[in-house]
Amino acid sequence: MGLKELENKSIYIIREAYAEFENPAVLWSTGKDSTTVLALCRKAFFGKIPFPVIHIDTGYKFRQMYEFRDRVADEWGLDLIIARNEEAMNAGVGPGDGKFECCTKLKTEALMQCLDKHGFDALLLAIRRDEHGIRAKERVFSPRDEEFRWNYRDQPLEMWDQYQAQSKGQSEIRVTIHTRVHPILHWRELDVWEYIKQEKNIPVNPLYFARDGKRYRSLGCEPCTSPIDSNAKTIDEIVEELRTTKIAERAGRAQDKEKAFMMQKLRALGYM
Amino acid sequence: MNMNVVLVGHVDHGKSTMIGRLLYDSESIKDERVEEIQKLAEEYKRRFEFAYFLDSFEDELKEERTIDTVSLMFKSEKNYYTITDVPGHKEFIKNMLTGASHADVAVLVVSAEEGVQEQTRRHLFLLKMLGIKEVFVAVNKMDAVDYKKERFENVKAEITKVLSSFGYLTGQILFIPVSAMEGDNIYRRSERMEWYEGPTLIEALDGVTVEGKEKPLRFVVQDVYEVEGEKIVVGRVESGILRRGDEVIFEPSGIRTKIEGIRVFGDELEEATTGDCVGVLIGEEVKRGDVGGTVEKPPKPVEEFLGEAVLLGKNLKKGEQIELRCGTAKVRCEIKEIKEKIDSETGEVVERNPDEINEHDAATIVFATEPLVIEKFAEIPELGRFVLVENGRNIGAGVVLDANF
Repeated sequence: MGLKELENKSIYIIREAYAEFENPAVLWSTGKDSTTVLALCRKAFFGKIPFPVIHIDTGYKFRQMYEFRDRVADEWGLDLIIARNEEAMNAGVGPGDGKFECCTKLKTEALMQCLDKHGFDALLLAIRRDEHGIRAKERVFSPRDEEFRWNYRDQPLEMWDQYQAQSKGQSEIRVTIHTRVHPILHWRELDVWEYIKQEKNIPVNPLYFARDGKRYRSLGCEPCTSPIDSNAKTIDEIVEELRTTKIAERAGRAQDKEKAFMMQKLRALGYM
Repeated sequence: MNMNVVLVGHVDHGKSTMIGRLLYDSESIKDERVEEIQKLAEEYKRRFEFAYFLDSFEDELKEERTIDTVSLMFKSEKNYYTITDVPGHKEFIKNMLTGASHADVAVLVVSAEEGVQEQTRRHLFLLKMLGIKEVFVAVNKMDAVDYKKERFENVKAEITKVLSSFGYLTGQILFIPVSAMEGDNIYRRSERMEWYEGPTLIEALDGVTVEGKEKPLRFVVQDVYEVEGEKIVVGRVESGILRRGDEVIFEPSGIRTKIEGIRVFGDELEEATTGDCVGVLIGEEVKRGDVGGTVEKPPKPVEEFLGEAVLLGKNLKKGEQIELRCGTAKVRCEIKEIKEKIDSETGEVVERNPDEINEHDAATIVFATEPLVIEKFAEIPELGRFVLVENGRNIGAGVVLDANF
């Protein structure tokens, strides 16, 4: 799809979510994808995002991510909510406890607590089909039950652009408690960068640009994210690099690889 | 060009393998993924298979079958493809429909060993209902029948019969003998089937042109926002072109007005074309579910229409009330009459005027509805398709055959 088409479809999805749900929010990691989703939300609503922006803080994020977050939140006038699982953080949970455990406690559970507290019924998320096999199986509107479970064996019928928007508690069998909304599911990594290049005003975290022959291609927590070999120092150079690379985007993300089907297991429990 | 392709067909006829092969031969697979799959294959004591690129669920690998639809992207010399794999089991028809609904082109995969099977027929019927006209037939597993022309011709004759029973013009449908496993005639021309002179699968796909028919303006309203004291009606141009200054009518609200301005964030436009999501200034109150069109060719709300639908996960009785969604409209409607119950495997009418239809049945139904803008699927498909909803769940889908406009 061309960028125009991709953008139109995303804006359509965002506006559908806003019309269908009572209390939506958008998740923002400060990475390129979720920052692009914020930019698309700004377009959808003519500048002002009318719902909260959640940042899950594990305490293990890069310093540059925190700085970037605060600067952009200020510039774009975001209604920022910082979600932290304080209990787990105080208990010292970290990657040393195993990546599965750490991701679940510090990310998934922090998000659960935040949803509980604010009663959000829809969460906009910046996952893309081409990032990971398991994400390729997602729907645009994807329901989660009270325990955050993703019932991937029985996903909704989602034909054309008729997304299933169950309201809270609606369902005979399992109770949908919130719906994941994926406005850029249909984008590729290269599309995101080409869009950033075209738009000119989407802020980019400096960690994406190469320093001393290395750059981050996907951002996560500092201990579990490693950079790739790259000399791409500008957006143009990143676009060039991605046109030819044979390295997977999430190659530097440890939680995907600890063992087979780790992402499926994480996602079934509510991971993004 | 961008092209959405769906692979359909019976279980184990090699759909996932074929997509894996397309991705691999077009060099769209990352090295790391190949290594990961090799490792998994060893762990599960299996031989390396292309299908494993697609089946990402642990259950899928264990059960050796595709459960859910998956869309992957690759690029040929000519096009960008989004290629969708759908499950071949009856129990996963819902996922098949989800995957197939976005397709421009379908490839029917039929095993040269087994020929036409239950889901071969059902998938063809559903494709026909979804209005996917461009279909190729890939006769797969030619390696298992020693690449024999005779076997290919037999399977071709069998499929031709099914295709014509569903109303396809069989003379125009291309049959390609392939082996997804070995890579024959997918991306690479086979040297083992010199009797075949037609295009390879990728050549056939690259040769497709998507026709653009001129259609009247239909602007579907998603919402109304207030931005700095101004009311902006946001929505999507489903068909045609929207121009500033157009005299328009919004239905079913019945509001006649003029497009005073077209807005996107930070810009004003003179016109918007099909697919564009824009805001319009009209100085009148319209609401979500309304559809705008020009006064020359206005949308007309109906209170009754004939549709063909397929049901998933529910029975439906004559006289029953159900929710229906078309575009952004959400209305209550009644099953006024079930004209024909259709077997979704064979496409045959199995009963006329039944009182009830069951899960997996298709049917032609007369719906009595709250005022609703719809169009014949054959004319403006974007507003000629609908889903049926119960308790917030999408439980069926269909297309509009006719209405008293």
